[in-house]
Amino acid sequence: MEPKMNFHPTKVKIDGADRLIRGFTYVFVGIFAVMCIIPFWMIIASSFSTEAAIRRTGFTLWPTSFSTYSYDLIFRSPAQLIGAYVVTVVMTIIGTSVGLFIISMTGYALQRKDFPFRNGISFYIYFTSLFSAGLVPFYYLMVKVYGLKDSYWAVLLPLLMSPWLIILMKNYVKAIPHEITESGKIDGAGDFRIFWSLIVPSMTPALATIGLFLALGYWNEWYYSSLFLGSQVTYRPLQYWLYNLINKVAALKNSLAATQLVLDDLPSETLKMATATLATGPIILLYPFVQKYFVAGLTVGAVKG
Amino acid sequence: MQLNLQAKPGKVAAPSLVHRESFWHKVSKSRVLLLMCFPAILFFFLFSYLPMPGAYIAFTKFNYNKGIFGSPFIGWKNFQFLFGNGQLLLLLRNTVFYNLVFILLGNFLQVLLAILLNEVQSKWFKKTAQSMMFLPYFISDVLVSLLVYNLINYDYGFVSNMVRTAGGVMPKYYSMPGAWPFIIVLVNLWKGTGYGTVIYFAAITGIDTSMLEAARVDGANGFQRIRYILLPCLKPTVVIMLLFAMGGIVKGNFGLFYNLVGNNSLLFNTTDIIETYVYRALMNNFNFSQGSAVGLFQSVVGFAIVMIANGVVKRIEPEYSLF
Amino acid sequence: MAKKLVSLLVALAMVLCLIPAMAETAETTDYSSWFPGVDTSEHVVLTFLVTGNIPTNKTNDVLKVFNEKLTKAINAEIQIEWIEWTDWQTKYNLALAMQDGTVDLVGTATDWLDAWPNSKNGAFLPLSEDMLKTYCPKTYASVTPEHWNLCKYDGQIYLIPEDNYAQWTNHGFLYRGDWAKEAGLTNGVNSWEDLGTYFQYIKDNKPDVIPWDADGSGSSYSDQMFGGWISSKTGGINIEGFSAPLFFGKSTTDPYTLSTFYTEGDDLVNFAKLMKQWADAGYWREDVLNYTGDQKAELEEGLSGAQQHHTQTWKTERYLMEQKQPGSDVGFFWFGKESNTLVSLNITHGALAIAAQSDAPERALMAYDLIRNDQTFYRLFNYGIEGQQYIIDANGYMARPDTYKDDTVDGMSFDYWWGRNDALELRSALTDWPAYDKLMEEYNAVKIDYPYGQVVFNTDDISAELDNLSNVFRTYAPVITFGKEDDPEAYVAEFRQALKDAGIDKVMENVQAQIDAVYKK
Repeated sequence: MEPKMNFHPTKVKIDGADRLIRGFTYVFVGIFAVMCIIPFWMIIASSFSTEAAIRRTGFTLWPTSFSTYSYDLIFRSPAQLIGAYVVTVVMTIIGTSVGLFIISMTGYALQRKDFPFRNGISFYIYFTSLFSAGLVPFYYLMVKVYGLKDSYWAVLLPLLMSPWLIILMKNYVKAIPHEITESGKIDGAGDFRIFWSLIVPSMTPALATIGLFLALGYWNEWYYSSLFLGSQVTYRPLQYWLYNLINKVAALKNSLAATQLVLDDLPSETLKMATATLATGPIILLYPFVQKYFVAGLTVGAVKG
Repeated sequence: MQLNLQAKPGKVAAPSLVHRESFWHKVSKSRVLLLMCFPAILFFFLFSYLPMPGAYIAFTKFNYNKGIFGSPFIGWKNFQFLFGNGQLLLLLRNTVFYNLVFILLGNFLQVLLAILLNEVQSKWFKKTAQSMMFLPYFISDVLVSLLVYNLINYDYGFVSNMVRTAGGVMPKYYSMPGAWPFIIVLVNLWKGTGYGTVIYFAAITGIDTSMLEAARVDGANGFQRIRYILLPCLKPTVVIMLLFAMGGIVKGNFGLFYNLVGNNSLLFNTTDIIETYVYRALMNNFNFSQGSAVGLFQSVVGFAIVMIANGVVKRIEPEYSLF
Repeated sequence: MAKKLVSLLVALAMVLCLIPAMAETAETTDYSSWFPGVDTSEHVVLTFLVTGNIPTNKTNDVLKVFNEKLTKAINAEIQIEWIEWTDWQTKYNLALAMQDGTVDLVGTATDWLDAWPNSKNGAFLPLSEDMLKTYCPKTYASVTPEHWNLCKYDGQIYLIPEDNYAQWTNHGFLYRGDWAKEAGLTNGVNSWEDLGTYFQYIKDNKPDVIPWDADGSGSSYSDQMFGGWISSKTGGINIEGFSAPLFFGKSTTDPYTLSTFYTEGDDLVNFAKLMKQWADAGYWREDVLNYTGDQKAELEEGLSGAQQHHTQTWKTERYLMEQKQPGSDVGFFWFGKESNTLVSLNITHGALAIAAQSDAPERALMAYDLIRNDQTFYRLFNYGIEGQQYIIDANGYMARPDTYKDDTVDGMSFDYWWGRNDALELRSALTDWPAYDKLMEEYNAVKIDYPYGQVVFNTDDISAELDNLSNVFRTYAPVITFGKEDDPEAYVAEFRQALKDAGIDKVMENVQAQIDAVYKK
């Protein structure tokens, strides 16, 4: 039952086609990857620059004059930053685990051919991605009926799952051989037991993928935070903190508000960059961590054996 | 390709049972599976279905004091500004065009990258490349537009400076509407490819390796393996992703377009989508009902398109349909 | 015995002399005479809806002190509900739409916070004269009946105006007086042509400076530049309440006839031509329409020669510039100067409303009355704690104490733009008062009151046309403002045709009729 890695390079001959593919990959992917990292690098570099330098020369790959002023500013009241981190991390962990559990359960059930209600329930779930009543009814329900204003649950709950994730999961589980379920049934196990003990260990890549997407959803979320977390909440999630900073400028310049208010204390470019760097920080490290789960789970051979 | 057995749904008893009983029979037979679906069913009921009647707001002149259902009914008036200005066709054209390109080109690139990365031996390369490709996803649209501006603005852009030192002439991109379909598509691909590749990479990893081993032993080379095993295995995932995207074909990515183009009306002809138009129209004239009306319109159109597309797929290959 | 008596008398006299002094320096703690007969036995928490980001400086500390005093005075405290700038319009309107008693006081404005649409949509409580007399006595008395009339919709008062506060937010260009003099403009910039000369001078002589490094991505520039040209060259007056600045009164002498600037005549064409000329001359960046820089910061760093904003901004900026760019002598070219067209701010530019379903409207009004009319509360709410955020120097001006290092850490702000009061305002030491007073003289000589305060426009019949006109404006105006079209005359013709197609004639008729109904009886 050990997980198998992909190929045995020492045993099989590497032919010309393989070499061509591999060469092409290295070049193509390599260029693309570099294109992805350069702008990110520029953001980090700019956050360490002086404001004046940014205004004169724009973004560069290396700060022309070094300064940690923006970081000093942010760390002067670190309580906000730390609080934001804690809130975001806790929410991500809880939301991802609970959501992943529910999604994988549902995805498994929906792809079982012997489940008579699967089409109906699939449609029921999918329909919600097509029709949305809009903001006002949803807000009304959350605030007045469920009483979730100023509560972290207002952010955590709506992100637990989405039709897209459930359908994606269903698709992944479909690829797992039906024999596994069959053999479980023969052994007399109930559906949930089959799911938990047999199916879940076989779907590690799927769990990793959906889990990653859920985690990213929580980490990057600012919309529900903006709507529901008001002044009585001390610590707001990271991305929302960043957005507030950036949007103050945009809001004041794009509306008639700009005509009335005095535009002082607008955040500087370097402050925006520093905040963006801090808000992204650790999540980048999540993906390499998740990477190692991208290995094949149980194989048919193992089951048959 | 699938090794599933075609199990027949539910009924084991003789066909002479009464219809009503067989429904409850079905429920009791699959009660564990139903229970497993229950949290999701509850979730969508609470957060998606309960608010739905509130879509009525699109047909009212919303009064804060009277609430949605107490506000006066005004029929189609909220839709007039969208339909009556001659712009709708242009907006729909742009919205759908960009979405189609994003979906088709995007998925193609993601599948390509997933397959290529799978072929590569070096674990280090795989890991690093994938992590790096993921990074753009984290950069918010506001910062993306700032970066693009820093690259290609005529006076002081990074690219402009390089072009001028090389003796060339820099095009004035921000005044050229024709360039922006390309720029926006490129930016969207840059931002979303890393994220999407993971989907297909996970699907590939889930492929039964004994099949691939057998193919190798049989002497199949790289191209053949890709063509006859990997691609067919990815097909269900691709179809699902495409089908799902159809539902949102008239819904644009507001953040991306608004931040890249902003208020530069020179570019509106080729970059204006429904969301950005509505935002500008309602910017100093805030109106919940009109905003809801647009959302409703987009939902109805998306629904129609998906029903048609799913129907077509069901006829061709029922296993690949969404529902 | 006599000695003892004398010393007793002296002591008594001293004590008697001290009493008035003690009364002067002691705070008014007894407010029962302010609100006679009002029962304040129940403690109330009032929520004040305000736009702004949740503060991370000393604002909450100030609020604590404020609430202690407010509790002693009327047994109430204020909680601020900040509507943060992300998606602020949506959130502000959602807060009003919920109507569940969680909002009491609402900061609003007729120009940018949709005060009238919200009043019509049932967001606010109608305030009866009795209510105002009892719970808001000093404010009620200080606002004249004419002004109260301007706050009515359908015969009911919905807004309490900030009408005793001289705020000038008329727009124009801040420019550097030192460079203007070098350019030969000895009296400063007094016309659009002068501005052109000024820009050209910078272009020719200061290679590192962009004459006006405008961040054209901000959509409000079109509004200001168009409005500025119209007031300067035609004397037109902007009519508030519409999503695009398409409706102007003809002039200060004939404000109730609509200007035809947009539909006919050469003024619009001249504007387009001049802006194109300026764009070609390089007074701003090539890709100005997507530039998101900060023109204020650039002016301060000497990278830009002008900032387009309003008088209030100039007031603070002038002083700041003397520190950052000594000798800069920042002047203000106000739009309308050429034709002496100047309109005072509409009294409801900033106003206070009470939410329709507030559960403590009386106490809310009382709190507002105190903030607006009592020195202690006014200073706390506007300036902070004396000794921490401000000190009063020898001249009676407000200055910063030595412990005050940085706005972001030591400062405070309640974004209170809804009821400031000149009677209680402190002059800040960080302003060039002689220059400001001189400008005020200029203003007071020609200003008129906002002529359209009485009419609350009903846009139900024309709302679709207005949305489309707004869109047409947002499509053509930025291009004209920054001269990005190829052929100004042809482009203006196209603009006019698009306006026609969107229904501007019908809308102008409708608006004119509404104005006539009120003013041409």
